[in-house]
Amino acid sequence: MSSRQDAVDGNWTVALRTRVEGLVPEGQALPDRQPVYVASWIYVFGVLTIASFVVVLASGVVLTVGGSLWWHQSTLGHFVNSMHLWSVELFFATMVIHLWGKFWMAAWRGNRGVTWMTGVVAFVASIGAAFTGYLSESDFTSQWIAAEGKDGINAIGVGAFFNVLNPAQMLLWHVVLLPLVVGMLVVWHVILVRRHGVVPPLDADEPQPSRVGEVR
Amino acid sequence: MAQALTVLSGRYIDWGVISISVTNAVIILVMVVVFVLALVVPFPHDRGDTTEPGRRR
Repeated sequence: MSSRQDAVDGNWTVALRTRVEGLVPEGQALPDRQPVYVASWIYVFGVLTIASFVVVLASGVVLTVGGSLWWHQSTLGHFVNSMHLWSVELFFATMVIHLWGKFWMAAWRGNRGVTWMTGVVAFVASIGAAFTGYLSESDFTSQWIAAEGKDGINAIGVGAFFNVLNPAQMLLWHVVLLPLVVGMLVVWHVILVRRHGVVPPLDADEPQPSRVGEVR
Repeated sequence: MAQALTVLSGRYIDWGVISISVTNAVIILVMVVVFVLALVVPFPHDRGDTTEPGRRR
């Protein structure tokens, strides 16, 4: 083997490019055609969840500019805070309907166990993100939730690392750590869905690779 | 004061160990309705679609 080939084999950029290119089958990253059974409203709730998540992140970014007290002092801040709240409500509602659809479809079939589990963990992480959001309201509600929650958190032995009575820690978990975790899980989940294809209904055939993408 | 606190605390449905606010119960009910509608309402198609209904077993 030539020294040039050795250099390419040991090249991290080439290895990363090969890895990224192989994440999903060719043409499946953003497909414009899907199997016939995907033409159902039950298949839109995953993407509705992602759309809600984008609004959650965008409104959250705007809120970070004004700060956690902004919505108490400004009508614009109140409006953006309300957008943040209602996009979270839609995020959870659409995510739970997506979960119901996939549960009754047994969506872990066809080597999709990791896809299912990344969705489950993303759901749990989202609950943590919402919880820290309620703790960051900077009002009597957040104080009440913190006081009520501390005993439960201490009972499971994590109070020393996750102190619900520390608003600064909870705000940073809410605006940095948990959105990062949820975002990475969502990206991983979507890559796996594109890699394995959307799960067929129980009464439908799994499409062969050459048959994927027959319906616009 | 007591009346104001009662209003603020909302209305609850109590059934054995289950206690849920009317608001949350209505939201869950609406989600179930949306779920059922998603299963039964036909999905719109483009005119250029080449849907093959025979693909289901």
